[in-house]
Amino acid sequence: MKTKILNTISLFFKPIIKVLKMYKNKLEKSMHQRFVLFGILLALVPLLSNLDIIRYSTVSLVAYIVIFTIVALGLNILLGFSGLMSLGTAGFVGFGAYGVVYFSSLGLPYEISILATLIISSIIGLFIGLFSLKVEGVYLAISTLAVGEIFSQIFRRVTWFTNAFGGVHYKYPLLFGVVQLNRNTTFILLVIMMVLMMFVMYNLTNSKTGRALMAMSRSNSSAQAMGVSISKYRLLAFLIATLYATIGGILYASFYRYVQPLDWNLMLTLLILAMVVVGGIKSIFGTFIGVFVIYGVPSLWLEELFSSINGVAYIFSGVLIIVVIMYYPYGFIYVIQDTKKLYHKFKNGIENRKNKKKNKVENNV
Amino acid sequence: MYNLDNNTILEIKNLCMSFGGLKAVNDLSFDIRKNEIVGLIGPNGAGKTTVFNCITQFYQDKEGTILFRNKEDEIVNLNEVHVSHVINEGLVRTFQNVELVSDLPIIDNLLIGAHSLYKTGIVSHVLHTKKSKQEEIFFREKADEILEFMGIKAIKEQLAGGQPYGILKKIGIARTLMSNPRLIILDEPAAGLNEQETNELSDLIISIKDNYKCSILLVEHDMGFVMQVCDRICAISFGKFLAMDTPEKIKSNPIVQEAYLGKDDD
Repeated sequence: MKTKILNTISLFFKPIIKVLKMYKNKLEKSMHQRFVLFGILLALVPLLSNLDIIRYSTVSLVAYIVIFTIVALGLNILLGFSGLMSLGTAGFVGFGAYGVVYFSSLGLPYEISILATLIISSIIGLFIGLFSLKVEGVYLAISTLAVGEIFSQIFRRVTWFTNAFGGVHYKYPLLFGVVQLNRNTTFILLVIMMVLMMFVMYNLTNSKTGRALMAMSRSNSSAQAMGVSISKYRLLAFLIATLYATIGGILYASFYRYVQPLDWNLMLTLLILAMVVVGGIKSIFGTFIGVFVIYGVPSLWLEELFSSINGVAYIFSGVLIIVVIMYYPYGFIYVIQDTKKLYHKFKNGIENRKNKKKNKVENNV
Repeated sequence: MYNLDNNTILEIKNLCMSFGGLKAVNDLSFDIRKNEIVGLIGPNGAGKTTVFNCITQFYQDKEGTILFRNKEDEIVNLNEVHVSHVINEGLVRTFQNVELVSDLPIIDNLLIGAHSLYKTGIVSHVLHTKKSKQEEIFFREKADEILEFMGIKAIKEQLAGGQPYGILKKIGIARTLMSNPRLIILDEPAAGLNEQETNELSDLIISIKDNYKCSILLVEHDMGFVMQVCDRICAISFGKFLAMDTPEKIKSNPIVQEAYLGKDDD
């Protein structure tokens, strides 16, 4: 009787398992579907908060991770693929945040404000790209550092744009002049944007453009001999990184609805850099993991555990960067691969042992 | 506008290139015919690599003309072509120290060679349009063919980094074939290879010439290799033209012997 019931249950589950297995095969093939699935899972976070499974504040923490994943993806294209260095990232994030607030305050609709912000920041980004044609390596890092500092001073001093230390307030976006978003729907907007930016990065880096960027980063002369125009692709790399950072800033303003000038400093830039390096150069999911490890882990757990010590997050990320660079120079994402390998080794080990026992028994018989 | 003999693919006329006071190339003239392998030889510091860099426009301030019969059978003065457009005309080169992207699979390294042939733009790549997908597949198949021809198709998905030097050299040459070249310039293709690999390479270079209907200009120090592969050899010393002839005649040419071995004192 019991086996009969179990059989009918398993009969019922079999097609579901079959479908899941089919989907698993598909997932392994297509990165696009993985991004979508990942986005759907993330979009469930506000729902969890509504059901009181996680805290209300956790949602805004995850939002921060999503926003900075976008920013870090941009820096990953610049650093990982084209091998160029920028220390002005935080400035562009800040510019995106202030820009969208400013243009909205002029009475422009949300979408137009975004467009205007993106256009202006891409002009600035292209300007830095032009500059990068003349300077290399460390010198480029220093000059972009100066750009970041200029931004940071603008945020503090130019009152008509940023309201100086008072900061500026914003509201949840009104899409197409019709759909008023609230906290949860804005969060979903962030996730959709992140998935979109992952798509763009994946398609771009797996095309001729990505290969050209990589060829350029390894050897300028070899790339030129293959027909890659250095000036075009350097400009492009800076343009992409700028757009990603600006979009991150715009989403920051849209979700947190308050922008203040002191956030966009070198410290933030270095943290974003750490996210890319720790997570995994050239890896999309690795970047997310990097953001989660550098920002999420300290603010989710460590700060509570060590509430008596100030700045434990920075200590944590400092130690982590050293460890990762020592053992995982290509990023945290490879921990997953190593665990997989270990798992298979373990599994094979158990099977081998079983087989040996079997052989022994058979031999004895 | 420019005149070139029907059978000639590249003609260098009165090429001069100096670095400060040093004349690295001094009034050099020679030509390469269709479907021909030409070797450029000379003692160390003769200016061979400088000639290569002048032809492929890596050096700007040079005198003289470099006429080239491009893919459309038009005659262009390469001095008027930007360094990253030289490949579009049908002239492509390799490097002495290979210069591949080590963290890309071998096949993707070949696709870099097809960079100039892609017609779809960045927008269609981002949107992953049907046209861009088809184009990608087309070039991947082409890369497959070339890898098969080079005998390294089996390892095409492996990273280029960490491959033995002989394989890296092959990838470098395979990459040039992606762009449908009319003239390939090889900078020391046999350097760092052992004897067996060198023999393999000489067969390969000759079969590239026959199969892909292109001319090849190469610089090499391994004289045995040069004599075996080349149809004609151009010898230079201190940037000056010495002689250009078939391998046998170059070998017995007294001026060339003098440049390599020194002058008898008596």
